[in-house]
Parts: sequence; structure tokens; C-alpha cells
Amino acid sequence: MTALLDGPTGHPVTTDHAVTTDHPVISADLAERARQARRLVIDMAASPRGCHLGGSLSVLDILIAALHRAARGDGTEVVLSKGHAAAGLYAALHVSGVLAQNPAPVYGQLGHPFTGHPGPKVPGVRFPTGSLGHGVPYAAGWALARRLGRLPGLGIAVAGDGELQEGLVWETCQVAAAQELGNFVLVVDRNGGQNDGLVRDISPLPNLAARFAAFGFETREVDGHDLAALGAVLEPDRAGARRPLAVIADTVKGKGVPAVEGKAGSHYVTIDAARAAKWKRMIR
Amino acid sequence: MTTATAPAPPLSGRDAYRDELTRLAAEDPAIVCLEADLGGKGHPFQAAHPDRFFNLGIAEGAMIDMAAGLAVAGYKPFVSTFAPFAALRAAESLKLTLGYLAAGVTVVAPYAGVSGAWFGTTHHCLEDLAVLRSIPGVAVAAPYGEQETRAVVRAAAASGQPHYIRTGRNAGYRSLPTEGTELPPVTWEFHGEPGASCLVSVGEEGTRLALEARALRPELAHAHLGYLDHVHLAASAAELAAGHRRFTVIEEHRQEGGAAEALALLLPGCEVVGVNAGHGWPTQGGDHHEVLGQLGLDLPAVLAALPPR
Repeated sequence: MTALLDGPTGHPVTTDHAVTTDHPVISADLAERARQARRLVIDMAASPRGCHLGGSLSVLDILIAALHRAARGDGTEVVLSKGHAAAGLYAALHVSGVLAQNPAPVYGQLGHPFTGHPGPKVPGVRFPTGSLGHGVPYAAGWALARRLGRLPGLGIAVAGDGELQEGLVWETCQVAAAQELGNFVLVVDRNGGQNDGLVRDISPLPNLAARFAAFGFETREVDGHDLAALGAVLEPDRAGARRPLAVIADTVKGKGVPAVEGKAGSHYVTIDAARAAKWKRMIR
Repeated sequence: MTTATAPAPPLSGRDAYRDELTRLAAEDPAIVCLEADLGGKGHPFQAAHPDRFFNLGIAEGAMIDMAAGLAVAGYKPFVSTFAPFAALRAAESLKLTLGYLAAGVTVVAPYAGVSGAWFGTTHHCLEDLAVLRSIPGVAVAAPYGEQETRAVVRAAAASGQPHYIRTGRNAGYRSLPTEGTELPPVTWEFHGEPGASCLVSVGEEGTRLALEARALRPELAHAHLGYLDHVHLAASAAELAAGHRRFTVIEEHRQEGGAAEALALLLPGCEVVGVNAGHGWPTQGGDHHEVLGQLGLDLPAVLAALPPR
């Protein structure tokens, strides 16, 4: 179902299909969406281009839960700030019903918008991300717009833990706290990896929740692969909140594919069709 | 008996911006004003529309990216901070927000050129036109005087298209005589005889120098450029070439990426000479004109670049 909300200036804001309950049947449905999406991500890893496999698989459940939250139709916007997980985003958008076209067969191909980092030509994507850090203030700006218009809905940014090394993230946290953007939510996909290795070896982030708390955020730490737990932190409307929310979601890089789970080498992967078929059979 | 009153001195570019935007916002609820701690105390927009004024603190990149979020949600954000911080520190945000996303965000950048004067190199920006002109889809304006500044702010608000508006610091400039209320790509201060050598002025100080040069060389034509992005410059170039073949372009910017370099490419059959800020870094204090002098951008330099009478 598509809902149209009046934006703050009468500008129509198109929302995605609406889901009105968080019944256990819905959770089972989300779990099935996540399985389908993981198979699509593997298909994209088997494309001639390959993809950022590990981070796409780690963030998938977060995206499924966040898109489910947005599907309520209240003007919530989800921004994947760790844009290199584009394959995960395209897969999540497709299985969530936002993106009609299956992106996997045309991922990275001329004539199609499914580039290695997402842009606004992709249905369901409003902001260009991939240069790390920018998605966080995009979502904060969206949240500010909703509040300014006295409208419901969240601005949800999904960032990587390695991405937190970008100063722009913390610059935005400072602003969001100062502006009391209680409808701004920053979800951190804490998979522990980044391009050149492990976050803890390159630029560790100890006491992460305390860091956000020190900025003035509410904080939650959840299992980033527990769809019910993710839903519990993302579903509230936060209408009366005056502190932004940081959700630290612990995840596993390459989640769902035993051959690559937890391995830093899963960051960018190109595989052949036979391996893809084998890996897809392992998705449970 | 009547008492003669002197006309009010013209507002500086940034004061004209603040006043015009405050007026526009009274009629347009979509306009929001963002500052990064350099808007000054007593900002008229804050006084008139406090619910739509946000001083986001010293966070230029976040400010421009959050403006993207606001614009995509239907607002018309006007963001302002000094040119070096807007055009250079936040350059990637400009590329993505104003360029790739084509968000209807207007960036107003005072302290352009060396108008920051004795504040030193960190507060100078002789590179902003090179950055912004290289981002497709952005209207780049360098108005001269209060009327032009007001006009380009109105145009930005009405268009919903990305704009970068360059101004100086606190100096006010007497506006050029204009027709209509819009800022045209070319304002002819003096057409001159067909074929006459033509001064082409850019921005506040470039135009001030052109006017001073023409006072000494009244036979020269003088075309003032309001917009400096490629689309507008291409149109301006055609208009310039219709009546003249030799141009002396005066701009408070480095040669690279400036208007003269662009016009030289757009006018291959013409002679284009640039008078600009060159490659130097002012290392001394002084007022605006004195710092320009350190860069060799002064009236003698303009006169030296002109053809003999």
C-alpha cells in the first residue's frame, strides 16, 4: 500500500507500503525476507562486478527491520550511510516491496542505476551515499524537517562501525543532540571490520555506547541479527523524545554464509556461479 | 523649508542577503535559514522567524548535508558560512548536495576572496569559483551591490535550484544602474563603441576596479557578470562577443578556475586578458585593498593590462 503524507510545505511525501502490526507472523515474514535478501546479495557477489559482501550481509537484518519500520507510512526515512553495502540495500528494498525490479541480474551493469554505491536514481533511495559519513547528516536533516513540520516519522541513518572514524559523523551527533532531535536514530552496524582489516586494529572504538551517551544520545545495544530486538528499538514513534537515539547493533560480517562469516576477507568478494549456488543453499 | 537627507549607505552583500531572505520568508514558509556560528548576533531572520532559524554550530559539513535532508523533505534551505569553510572545507558536501543530488539548497558565502583581509590566509578564499564552477547544475553568482544581491537571493528562492552566492565582508557598494528586478547574466555599465576594448568585471572588488579604470579610460566598454557558472557564462560570452573582441577580465580569484580562463575557452576568436589574484599568499595584515595590493590586484595592474588608447 502506498500512502501519501502532506509534507511540511504541502510537498507530498511518498511512503512505502504500510504494515500495521508487529505480530509474530510479521517477524517470521521479515526473517524470510532476510533469507531471500541474502540470496540476492550472493547473486550480486557472483556478478562480474562482485560486491561488498561482508558488510552487505552484516547490515541486512538492520535494513529489513528499518524498512519495515518505514513501511508504517508515517514519513520515516532510512538512509544507508555505509553506502558500500549497496548490494544489501538493493536486496532489502526488493524483498521489502519498495523496489519492484530484482537488482541482482543487472547489478553494476550499464543502463541500470544499481551502482556499487547507491544514488537517488534507485527507487526507494533519496540520498547518494558511499563517501562515508554523509548519510548521517542526511538523515538528521530529514528528522529536522519532520520536526519542523510537526510531523511524525524518524530519520534513521545506518552507519558502519568503521565509518565512525569519519569526523562528519560526530559533527552531526553534536548538532543532533544540540537540536534535541529525538526523532533522529543512528544505527551502527558493528561488524568489527573495515576495508583494510579489523576496526580494533586500525582505530578501535571502545566504550562506544558511552561515547554516544556523552554526546547526549539515548543508547541501545542489540543483537543486529535479531529482527524482533531490532524492531523493538526502531518501532516506537519517539514523538516526545528530545534526545536522539543511537542503536549499536552487534553483527557478524558475512552473516549467513559460513564460509565467510566473521572473516575480514569478506569485505569485497567476487565468486563464480557454482560457489554462489552452494552458498545460497546454506542460507537458513 | 525642506531638509535634504543623504541616501542610506548601501548594505553589504551579507547584510543584504540576511534582510532579503527575512523578507522572503515572511511569504514563503518553506524557507529555512541555517548558520554555522558565523551569522552574527542579532540575525534578522532569527528575530523574525525563530522557528525556522538554526545555528547548527561550527559544523559546516553537517550543515550542508542536513540542508540536503531538509530540501529533499520539501524545504528551501539557505545556509551561510564564510567562503573558505563553505567552498573548501565542505567541498564534498557541495558536490553531493548541490551537484549530484541537485537539492534546492542555496549557499551564501561571505568573506570570499581576501575580503577577510588582516584575518589572514585561513579566512581567505580565492579558490571557490574553481570549485563551484566545476560542479554541474549549480548557479554561481557574484553580485555587486545591494540590489544585485537581493535579486539573486530572490532568484534562488524562486527557482528551487542549487545556488552558490559569493559576497565580501562588510563593505557596501553602490549598485549599478539596472533595468528590471532580476540579475541578468551581463549588466552593461557602458556598451562603448563597437569593437572597443571591454572591461569584464566579476564580483564586488572586480567591479569596483573596473569602474575606477573606466573613470580613467572612459572609451572602454564595461560588462559586469552576475553569474559565473558555465551555463550562464556561455550565454554571457555570446553577448560579449556580439560587440567586442578584446576583453580584460578583473576578478578577485586565482587565475585557475576563474572567469577569465573560462571565457578564453568560450571565446576562441577573441583576446582575453586576466587581472586576478595570481598565485600568491598574502603574509601581512592590512585592509582589504591593501591585501589585494599584496596580490598585485589593484588599479595599476588593471591599467597595465589594458591596450594603449
